[in-house]
Amino acid sequence: MTTRLTAGSATALALALSACHRPPIAIAPTTVQPLLATAVIPQDTTPKEDVRLLAAEVYLRTYLQLFGGIPPVEAQQRARGNEGTALFDNWNDYLAALGFPDYRNDLPRSTQTNGLMMATFDRLGMALCARAAEHDLRDATPLPQRLLFAFANPPATPDRVAFAPAFDLLHRTFLGYPARLAPAGRTDAFFDVYRDIVARHADGKAPRTRLTPVQAGWMAVCLGLVRHPEFHTY
Amino acid sequence: MKSNNAALPSRRDLLRQGAAGAAALLPGGLALRALADEQSFGDAGKDEFFIFIHAAGGWDVTLWADPRNTRAGLVEPASTANTETGGVRLWKDETMDGDIHSFKLLQPSGSNLVFGPGIGGLLDFHDRLCVINGLAMNTVSHPDGITFSVTGRHLQGSRSLQPSINTAMANELGLAQTFPSVSLQFPSSYCGDHLDRRAVPLMIDRVGNIAGVLSRAPQYALDGDAMAVTALLSQEATALASRSAYGDVLRGMALQYRSLPGMLSPQMQNLFNDAKLRAAHPEFKYQARGMGPSAVNAAFALEAMKRNLVRCVSFALGGFDTHAGNYRQQAQLQQTMFDIVATLLRGLDTTPHPTKAGAKLSEHTHILIMSEFCRTPQINLGGGRDHYPNNSALVISPRFRGNRTFGRTDPDQVLPLATRKFSDEQRAITPPDLLATFVSAFGIAPRKYFREGEVVPELLTG
Repeated sequence: MTTRLTAGSATALALALSACHRPPIAIAPTTVQPLLATAVIPQDTTPKEDVRLLAAEVYLRTYLQLFGGIPPVEAQQRARGNEGTALFDNWNDYLAALGFPDYRNDLPRSTQTNGLMMATFDRLGMALCARAAEHDLRDATPLPQRLLFAFANPPATPDRVAFAPAFDLLHRTFLGYPARLAPAGRTDAFFDVYRDIVARHADGKAPRTRLTPVQAGWMAVCLGLVRHPEFHTY
Repeated sequence: MKSNNAALPSRRDLLRQGAAGAAALLPGGLALRALADEQSFGDAGKDEFFIFIHAAGGWDVTLWADPRNTRAGLVEPASTANTETGGVRLWKDETMDGDIHSFKLLQPSGSNLVFGPGIGGLLDFHDRLCVINGLAMNTVSHPDGITFSVTGRHLQGSRSLQPSINTAMANELGLAQTFPSVSLQFPSSYCGDHLDRRAVPLMIDRVGNIAGVLSRAPQYALDGDAMAVTALLSQEATALASRSAYGDVLRGMALQYRSLPGMLSPQMQNLFNDAKLRAAHPEFKYQARGMGPSAVNAAFALEAMKRNLVRCVSFALGGFDTHAGNYRQQAQLQQTMFDIVATLLRGLDTTPHPTKAGAKLSEHTHILIMSEFCRTPQINLGGGRDHYPNNSALVISPRFRGNRTFGRTDPDQVLPLATRKFSDEQRAITPPDLLATFVSAFGIAPRKYFREGEVVPELLTG
């Protein structure tokens, strides 16, 4: 179809074009005032989720490292010593309870602790700490050869001043930071347990154990740190 | 992490209210049926105990639940030619072919049930037995059959897609127990984000394994030493939780520290001690041929429920995979297994319920016995029977009708027959149907745990 431009429509078009052709409108910038504060609150930087349980592999690796960086079979032999299963059975008895996944039975890894896992931590911790106390807290063992208790032999009588630096060393070993940064009162709480256990073992009426009172006290401190919630979570 | 906010209505409450509202508005039909499946029947299981038994290997149902003593079609029945009958107490010869004898069917007087001689001592409890025959398995693979039986879904690759029945029951009713679910070589699975971690089955190879974890060496610590450390750790966990914005994990650890002295008590160690369980329950025949030593699992179940420490105990009694000459012992094995169950029932009958005054454990204990499939009706060249996609199951529960058989198989091939109109079609019952029915008996919505399966009310009392 052919379109013919008539004179009238050409005039209307010319008028429309001339009406649209204006110089641009200039808008002068203004200063924006900041919004008025209605309240001031501190920024919430707390973690937005619960702590999580360390993977069982991490626990096992750390445990072996604390035992002197030895393979699992050797750790088992050292933990058992000459006493059969008094302190340690064998790794196979502990793997499921520690939360390792069992692909054979389609059992996923445990991501939360349970009662049996806590009992297993206690059992394994006892083996580590008892053997380390036996080995380390003797005059004959030079400091560089000590597994965990790499401090001068503590006095036979509990002493808060002497306890603090030794506890700090263990605190750094197990929990990775100085004891002075821990929640207030932790050193005192551990010292109280240490003092009570030393006193209990030193009591002549108490049954005899294979550990001296001081060894028993430090074994308990070690046990408290290797089973500590901060040792198992991140 | 589950919320502890008691003010919010639970999903179950919402479903219950929704179902009630829908019932008021809608005429029956599929919509209501679907809602009824989801509807809760109430928290009716808090004092109940559960025992799940897996007859490992695939049992021959023609020797007990679906007995055959004549030749028909493919069926070559158990006979003196292929079975050692000497030790099978209930085997009474029935002439079949000259000198070859099969067995006489066992029908207790006044009972609807007919059994083969493999039922053993459980025959005395016929009035409590709910037998499901003609379970359509649609598999002859051990792993798949096992998984299908206990979860209601076939395997996907090698993975289970649904929680097993013991996990479901522990998740619903057992979280407050010291051990919600103890699983002794039972094919348990734990799948699903909606499950509480406490319901993870405590998988144990044998009862005695736990005793080691729970024992402590007196030569290294005095009685109070470990307790003092544990009390300190409980305080530490509580203090850390109070400083944390999200302290659930730490609070849980504090509770677990506190419960540790109880777990390490001599009483608990005795519970997981094989020798002490045997001494406490001499009524089980631990020397019986085949699976006699596994009777300690039944003793454990009895003892753990008596002390109210568990909700579910699951274990396997095995040796039924008789492809060759070992089929000759199949009847004997079944007798041993059902004898163990009968002894367990007697124990439950005489043991008081730990929390319900005046009640016996047997009034609140529910037993489900299943296998992965059954065995072929014909005898193979090796003298045994191979895998076959039919199955039977047994429920012994006050919530299931006793003295009842549901489902059937055809006479010539021992294959499942369609016995009931389900919502989809007329078909045979399947493991998902049985599992859905089982959980529904305790007010649990089946769809929470099982994608498939339909409740079969005919199996239930009330």
